[in-house]
Amino acid sequence: MTAKTTASGAAYDVQGDRADTERRDAAMQAFVRDFARTAAIHMESCLRCGMCANACHFYVTTGDPKYTPINKLRPFEQAYHRHIGPFAPIYRLFGLKSNVSIEMLQEWESLIYDGCTLCGRCTLACPMGIDISELIKEARHGMYKAGLVPDRLELMDRTAKAWGSPASPSEDFADIIRDAGEEHGVPMNIDLPKADYVVTVAPAELTEHTKALSDVAKILNKIGASWTYSTEGFEASNIGYINGDLPLQEKMTRKIIDNAIRIGAHTLILPECGHAYGAARWEAARWYGKKLPLRIIHMTEFLAELVTSGRIKLKKMGETTCFHDPCQLVRRGGVTEAPRAVLKGLGLDLTEFEDHGELAWCCGGGGGVVSNVRADPLRFKAFSIKRKQVEDAKTQHFVTACGQCRITLTLGAKHDKWDQKVESLLELVADHLED
Amino acid sequence: MKPDDTLAGEMQRRGVSRRAFLKYGSYIASLMALPPSAVEALAEGLAAARRQSVIWLSFQECTGCTESLTRSYSPTLENLIFDFISLDYHETLMAVSGEAAEEARRAAMAANKGKYIVVVDGSVPMKDGGVYATIGGKTNHQILEDTVKDAFAVVAVGTCAAFGGLPKANPNPTGAVAISTLVAGKPMINISGCPPIPEAMTGALAYILSFGKLPELDHLSRPKAFFGETIHDRCYRRPYYERGEFANAFDDAGARQGHCLFKVGCKGPVTYNSCATTKWNGGVSFPIQSGHGCLGCSEPEFWDQGGFYRPLSTPLGAMGPALAGAALAGAALGVGAALSARSHQKHYLASLDKEKEKE
Amino acid sequence: MELLAFARGPALTFSLAIFVLGVVWRLVGVLALPPWHDYSPPREGAPPNWLAAIRAVFRKMIPHKTFLKDGMFTTINGYVFHFGLAIVVFLFVPHIVLIQSLFGVSWPGLPNGVITGVGGLTAASLLGALAYRLTSPVLKLISRPNDYISWLLTFLPVATGLAATAHVGLRYETMLALHILSVCAFLIWFPFGKLMHAFLFVLSRGATGIRFGHRGAQL
Repeated sequence: MTAKTTASGAAYDVQGDRADTERRDAAMQAFVRDFARTAAIHMESCLRCGMCANACHFYVTTGDPKYTPINKLRPFEQAYHRHIGPFAPIYRLFGLKSNVSIEMLQEWESLIYDGCTLCGRCTLACPMGIDISELIKEARHGMYKAGLVPDRLELMDRTAKAWGSPASPSEDFADIIRDAGEEHGVPMNIDLPKADYVVTVAPAELTEHTKALSDVAKILNKIGASWTYSTEGFEASNIGYINGDLPLQEKMTRKIIDNAIRIGAHTLILPECGHAYGAARWEAARWYGKKLPLRIIHMTEFLAELVTSGRIKLKKMGETTCFHDPCQLVRRGGVTEAPRAVLKGLGLDLTEFEDHGELAWCCGGGGGVVSNVRADPLRFKAFSIKRKQVEDAKTQHFVTACGQCRITLTLGAKHDKWDQKVESLLELVADHLED
Repeated sequence: MKPDDTLAGEMQRRGVSRRAFLKYGSYIASLMALPPSAVEALAEGLAAARRQSVIWLSFQECTGCTESLTRSYSPTLENLIFDFISLDYHETLMAVSGEAAEEARRAAMAANKGKYIVVVDGSVPMKDGGVYATIGGKTNHQILEDTVKDAFAVVAVGTCAAFGGLPKANPNPTGAVAISTLVAGKPMINISGCPPIPEAMTGALAYILSFGKLPELDHLSRPKAFFGETIHDRCYRRPYYERGEFANAFDDAGARQGHCLFKVGCKGPVTYNSCATTKWNGGVSFPIQSGHGCLGCSEPEFWDQGGFYRPLSTPLGAMGPALAGAALAGAALGVGAALSARSHQKHYLASLDKEKEKE
Repeated sequence: MELLAFARGPALTFSLAIFVLGVVWRLVGVLALPPWHDYSPPREGAPPNWLAAIRAVFRKMIPHKTFLKDGMFTTINGYVFHFGLAIVVFLFVPHIVLIQSLFGVSWPGLPNGVITGVGGLTAASLLGALAYRLTSPVLKLISRPNDYISWLLTFLPVATGLAATAHVGLRYETMLALHILSVCAFLIWFPFGKLMHAFLFVLSRGATGIRFGHRGAQL
């Protein structure tokens, strides 16, 4: 692993010691691998109108045109036209589209990993409806295979492979759960052989947000549910999904789903994590080739169900709040009303940002950007949008429903020396349970 | 015939006044859009001119051009012009026939060597040695070459002579060609039309007689005075075109109200002639005024423009088979491209599986 | 006349054949790729795929207000030349006559004065689009030869059409022939460049509409 810079000064990391052409070919093949109809249609459709630029927090806060979302796909567009598109044989025959060079891939590494949070705001701006964020995810498959991934993300990848989680070894999981239970005085269920609900966690909850672990337990105990945490399948954040490491994505997915099926759970509860929702709710079934025999539900959806059905009663807070919509949950997940219903149940008066719901601005840390230290300066710039929104809202609380967003926003505030607390919807609910 | 006499003297003897002479001059001048100062010059030129020897050759033609010229509704004027010239040879109009006629041609050529004008109607067959039209055992081509050799100028009258016309229409069985392709180095005018407007023929001849040179010509060697504007640009139905009011059929309300005939195939927009201004039969009417679209008869290849009733903005020829074939070929190529991409993917998936086994 | 006959005859037949061939090739080539089977359960109350696709096609006709702040010119100008082109192409009577000869359907046209006015506006709008592409740093970066070729081949038929009707430049039949030939060039390029978006927009928007509809997400 070595950190390098391209001729233009863009930083890139390289893993492994393969020859450049081998890397390039691996990237192209992996990129080509999953090319299905929808992605091909989208690769064909760009009009070069530039509307996506103004949707991107990185372009807006840097003014650098290289962050125009469609530009981040450039090498992969070239590869698509050369290998997959309807005119690919012609392009190859007449040499109209040259093979992507390794230099180009190196140059683009920072655009694909540092300069994109997979937030998908550009998809909403595109007049052709091109799902650019999904295409960036496809591009990451190629970059991962080429061994051109930011070292920090690759480190998490290797850790997840070795430990079953990028945050903590599986062997430590039960202890962390028990410690959290003891610390907050909540009875925990761990590794029960049978349960209706199996609860999964995100890396942040194993390190910084451990209260979340006991908060879920508190709520599930309150409704008298049959539930458990499982050492065999606890990690819902899917670093393979983020990095473009497909085999790892499959492995991480199978682990939690197979475990939940074995336990006989009817519902798998995902933690307050955006990409976990994207990977499990929408992509898990892909590895099974059929409908899964259980329900996969995000914490926020679960809370909203409990609150609106009256299964839990909450103390009314009677205060004001603003809400950060996590991209993967809201824009790309369709869970827009659920967090608002929970806020209402908490008696919080919600002041919406000017751009909220599906149009919300990203926290700037999604898609692995928050874990990729190399991208810190860029991320702090993007944070300025969120800061202004929160300041304009002038509310007592600032709530979100994604642990990674929460960390990103907290780090952003800290960097700005701005005293702003970012709260978790789950924690607020757990703290305001009516006895 | 006294070729030495001036035209003025001849006219005077026939009782044509100078006033009538000037009137004719101004008529020709206005037809040809000459400046007023030219009226006098034209009349004076005509008066001083000697009778011009004209040899009229008829090749692959229908005699319509001659009919047009002679059955004109302004006989006085056409008589006048025929009095200005000495029509020394014209198969249809001359009394003699056979060898005597050919002899007349040769005599006129000899007597007016380098000064006579050759008027040609009809195209010349070139295929198979030109055997498709012969006179007195000589092919049209031979007669033309022979006659033009000592001529002062050549006037191709009618679209057959000017551009090949009907004989040259697809599939052109006789290998017909336009006169201009066979006449090199001689001053040459095309008076196209099927038939040409009589005034265009007489006007051009009068101009040559008066000024001793050819009038201003367009890129197809037609006098700009008669072929400078399109029928469409001078058509009295033009306002209907601009307003978007069209006849969709020859018997619909639009046709009865005299709307534009573009949709029923009028070729006026691309046809250069003075039908819309000079009109026919002494200014009585012209085809569009009679309710039929312009055929484009004064333009090259007018017979092969896909049909007289096919609107100008539609494609020539049948599209169906070409487009159906293209669609099939496109589908085949598309499927082929997708299959190649799929096999590429499969190949890669197989290599992935192998990789997994290794792990 | 010969040039015009060439334009109306072999050139138009050839270019329409290439147009059809290319469009079918490209559409089939993309649609024959393996579909993505989504086995995840749809969100409760999710519309059926066809409805989600149709909704997305219409939804994307009007940008979100928030994207208009910086995309106002692109959006408004885009509307102007798209509507302009549609009016000029489909409501000028000689064009309707052409369409009728190909497909047997026709409709009433607009007076020529209106068409000329709209054509002029369209040409101005296209020039504006080019100027923006040549000056905006974002567009300069992401533009390809495809974009400039597509622009030129859209602009030329408008320009030659206006010149022909206004008797500017060469003789009418020559301008008409050049107009038709420029359309031929447009048709030949169409399937291979970004002009193809005239077909692809339905697929592209529809595909995202299906994905988002399935998830209960808003586009």
